Amino acid sequence: MDVIYLDNNATTRVAPEVVDTMMPFLTSDYFNPSSMYDAASGPAAAIKQARRTIARLLGKVRPDEVLFTSCATESNNTAIFGTVAANSERRHVITSAVEHPAVYNVAKELERRGLEVDFLPVDRSGRLDMADFVRALRPDTLLVSVMHANNETGVLFPVEEMARIAKETDPGIIVHSDATQTVGKLPIDLSGTSRHLDLLSFSGHKLHAPKGIGALFMRRGTRCRPLLLGGHQEDGRRGGTENVAFIVGLARAMELMAERRDADEPRIQAMRDRLERELVARIPFLQVNGAGAPRLGNTLNVACHFIEGEGILYQLSSHGICASSGSACTSGSLEPSHVLRAMKIPFTAIHGSVRFSLSHYSTDAEVDRVIEIFPSIVANLRRLSPYWDAAANRPRPEAMSMMDSAAAPHS
Amino acid sequence: MTWNYSQKTTELFMNAVRGGPGSHMGEIADPDGLGEHGSIACGDALRFTFRVNRHPSDPRLDVITEARYLTFGCTSAIAASEALCAIIEEGSYTPIGALKITNDDIVRYLDGLPQQKIHCSVMGAEALEAAVFNWAQRRGVNLAELGIDIQRDEQEEGRLVCTCFGLTEPYILRKIRELELRTIPDITNAIKAGGACMSCHHTPGGLQDLLDQVWGKQPTMLRELPVLPTARVPAERPRSELSPYKFAKEVERVIDQQVRPQLHKDGGDLELVDIKDLIVYCRLVGACSDCVAGGQTLKLLVERALKDEIDERIRVVAV
Ligand code: FES
Repeated sequence: MDVIYLDNNATTRVAPEVVDTMMPFLTSDYFNPSSMYDAASGPAAAIKQARRTIARLLGKVRPDEVLFTSCATESNNTAIFGTVAANSERRHVITSAVEHPAVYNVAKELERRGLEVDFLPVDRSGRLDMADFVRALRPDTLLVSVMHANNETGVLFPVEEMARIAKETDPGIIVHSDATQTVGKLPIDLSGTSRHLDLLSFSGHKLHAPKGIGALFMRRGTRCRPLLLGGHQEDGRRGGTENVAFIVGLARAMELMAERRDADEPRIQAMRDRLERELVARIPFLQVNGAGAPRLGNTLNVACHFIEGEGILYQLSSHGICASSGSACTSGSLEPSHVLRAMKIPFTAIHGSVRFSLSHYSTDAEVDRVIEIFPSIVANLRRLSPYWDAAANRPRPEAMSMMDSAAAPHS
Repeated sequence: MTWNYSQKTTELFMNAVRGGPGSHMGEIADPDGLGEHGSIACGDALRFTFRVNRHPSDPRLDVITEARYLTFGCTSAIAASEALCAIIEEGSYTPIGALKITNDDIVRYLDGLPQQKIHCSVMGAEALEAAVFNWAQRRGVNLAELGIDIQRDEQEEGRLVCTCFGLTEPYILRKIRELELRTIPDITNAIKAGGACMSCHHTPGGLQDLLDQVWGKQPTMLRELPVLPTARVPAERPRSELSPYKFAKEVERVIDQQVRPQLHKDGGDLELVDIKDLIVYCRLVGACSDCVAGGQTLKLLVERALKDEIDERIRVVAV
């Protein structure tokens, strides 16, 4: 059975072009770039070139502002713990209630260590209110860390604007954004619209490079302590022998994303929009999470009222379709995702969320297949649900009234 | 995290969703026993119904002939519901005899369940118990006289321990004993208590205290105490000589008199979002909000007016 991979916000297929670029550094050019002999100059030059490429693609920043890490989680940890350690006179951090765990749990840890953290709320569409943000700014605000796009819903946050407001308020405030879901997909200009951002995290495996490589943009002059102490690599800002092959792969993947962006993004968005339209038309009581907010073009997060997400994923999987869910049974805890809870998705729907995320490799035929299969999967589970009237194909009357009390979805 | 369900579990699930032969999905109209457990808010819920072959003289000798379920829940919750119905139908139980079926029997029927999914089997046993109680009421059987005590009211009456899942002290205590739960993860796996915000784990009267009450106090690891906040040094920022209240009043007055009239002409307006010392945050609304020159307008118009009228050091930040 062919796999239909629609979980690209989790990870992506490695582009064959990227693998080709990496191969020499996994075979003949294995030398440590820090070594003195001639043979090491190949890997050293390759890193230098990769750094230049990435710096250019982030909006012509300086190459020495790009740090290589092992993943976006490391980049986020470095950005947050590093700035907190280097700016001990300030003790207040602003983030959002819907961050990826790599920021959310770091922020929770800061609270445990005695810092004060504001988690900005979102509305039912997943949007932040700028007035909340402004009110949260304080004289001792150290760091603002807000993601560029949410991994679960694809909702985009106005981080450029937030960075400007923070800097106009107090240039001492450091602004970080976890851009793991946007780098590659959206053009990022750290010398232009994003010039107020000090730190930006992302990883390779979300943009068709392999897992195990991440990067952190760190603007010159940003006060930040290293997380990994060791050798003098990355100018002493991140110890550890450079992961040459993966660094080269990351640069190649970013080049490919940039080259393909103009053709890819409209095509991907059109597929997503079609998927959304068709599913909404075919499935009653289906809600699109994040509808009404600006969203990434590749992400569709739907919530099916009165059924549970794990059983949906299981059936999808039996058809070879890979997607993910924010339901409790798939989250590893007994609670549905904190993102959907922050959006106040009604409890009649929150357990039945499914996320489809597309990529360059997604095809119309794959989307067709999901449109064909998904409605029956939902119907199968609803037939089993004590809240559903299978004969009338609608919720039972008592379940309908639960929907009203469960904070009706925002349309 | 991938699924590690037994083949039996996945077979029962897939057969149920496909509505295949032998599935017990459904609801018996006008049943002899009906029991429910769980809620949609908590993530799983089961409605269980059965029909009996009525004994002509002694209802205690009724025999369950048919069992059906409707389940909202994950793969294993649905499989556990199938298992429950199958066990009952295959065993020709009397309702009272069916009370001997435990969640362990369900787990065994499924060839095992992952630890975190044990609560799915517990849900089945609970719904069965509720249905038998319901049958007893309908058939006028006094279970208490038979020495069977089904505490139907403990959920309503006891002190709430885990608010996330709405579980009370008597219920949790009973389950700790019945299912021999020794640790907080045991409790969470079996009845979900403590599986969400976790604030009920170590509070006084919380899950650990209930465990200690049943099994005696076990030596526990010292938990790390939070580090206390250090004194913070606020950054110096220029302030107005006016009190914050007076200053805000002044800002509003100037905006009302000098800025709003101009914006109104174009069908727009200005919203004052916040004031921090000498920084005034505002945003354009209405017709002006889409104007490309919006930020500029604010800067020029509002900042100039405020500087002239109140304080040269005022800065305006567009939101
Ligand atoms: S109160 Fe028990 S998990 Fe929240």
